Amino acid sequence: MAIQVPTETELAPTVSRRDFLAFCSLMAGALALPKSSEELIRNALTNPKRTPVIWLELQDCAGCSEAFLRSSSPTAAEVVLDILSVDYHETIMAASGRRAEEAKEATIAAGGYLLVVEGSISLDEDAGYCCVGGKSSVQLLKEAAKNAIAVVAVGNCATFGGLPKARPNPTNAVGVMDLIKDKPVLNIPGCPMNPVNLTATVVHFLTFGALPAMDALNRPMFAFGHLIHDNCERRGHFSAGEFVKDWGDEGHRLGWCLYKMGCKGPMSYHNCPTVRFNEGTNWPIGAGHPCIGCSEPGFWDLETYEPLELVEFTPPSQYPGIVPPEELITPVGAAIAGGTLGLIVGAAGAFAYDMVNKKSGMELKHDDELTGPEEHPDSK
Amino acid sequence: MAKIAIDPITRIEGHLRLEVEVADGVVTKAWSSSTMFRGIELILQGRDPREAWTFTQRICGV
Repeated sequence: MAIQVPTETELAPTVSRRDFLAFCSLMAGALALPKSSEELIRNALTNPKRTPVIWLELQDCAGCSEAFLRSSSPTAAEVVLDILSVDYHETIMAASGRRAEEAKEATIAAGGYLLVVEGSISLDEDAGYCCVGGKSSVQLLKEAAKNAIAVVAVGNCATFGGLPKARPNPTNAVGVMDLIKDKPVLNIPGCPMNPVNLTATVVHFLTFGALPAMDALNRPMFAFGHLIHDNCERRGHFSAGEFVKDWGDEGHRLGWCLYKMGCKGPMSYHNCPTVRFNEGTNWPIGAGHPCIGCSEPGFWDLETYEPLELVEFTPPSQYPGIVPPEELITPVGAAIAGGTLGLIVGAAGAFAYDMVNKKSGMELKHDDELTGPEEHPDSK
Repeated sequence: MAKIAIDPITRIEGHLRLEVEVADGVVTKAWSSSTMFRGIELILQGRDPREAWTFTQRICGV
């Protein structure tokens, strides 16, 4: 009996109409586009002409590929693999050896493709730290970037050098934008990158024919426009001065702020708190571990468990400080004193104010007089 | 005697090259080489031991 081989039309599309429409809405949301853009996205994604993609893996761990291939439902990978023609990707392609390299060369010769790069590039070409098909990583990247429309670097290794570039950078590793200067390079850092951000970038590219707006580090603004700290579900605890001080302490069990355990959320631009990972299931801070700052250059050389010195972010002075009052007189005391002085104009005013305070039973106390809840005036 | 080299080996994580010598349809000699090095052992030296897991976890992402 002859074996029934499914034709290409029977294999595609792998996604139902309903899931496809839901995906278009999700993408419009991820890109912060108006609802009217959904139709544009639908039209772009149903274009029968599929954009070719070359996915280069250099000094990588395939973690970004895995994140992408195992992404959420309707699987972004399904939709993207339906709308793109992934001509070269070592981890998933059927061909090996010479045939694999020929497929890549044919796509490069035809041009008009999108180049995705995963993993860093070793500048020590003669040392042979990263070779595929007998070519060094520098050579591979330059060849593949030559005719590409745009280059998308995924993961912290391809964007900023990542793990291989960590001190002492044994292989002289760099990111894509350190080498490719004549092409638009878009960076989607993360360790791994969040697949939603790659998918949304691809959708934006197919819909508008251009890469999305980027920040100074070439990261798309829709995904890297806000600090993790801005949208963190534990931000309220930061503002209230409630911090985890040791693993498994009461604050840790109650889900308090991980700043003092070394959280890099206040310096990391990423959309993890809103998009999360594994189909929106959870994210590191949600699981009780401080953010390691994987969207930022050089994060591997930060002390994971040492608190950051807050430079960019200063809590408003009316919030309790991050050091408890018994350890330091916070600006709150000074603010209250200053405010009182401003309010009281002249002796009459001061007298009236004093009377009101006495009537209501309130007493203004400076921070250094407050010793703890057990000696609060109400408990006397 | 024929010599065959397959590079890259696909559908695996990492970079692998295979070279084999074939005589009368039988492989007589074979060499496999891992063609990528990052030096994670060197990077780990002198770091806080509590951080080691974040580095070693990235040896393979599959």
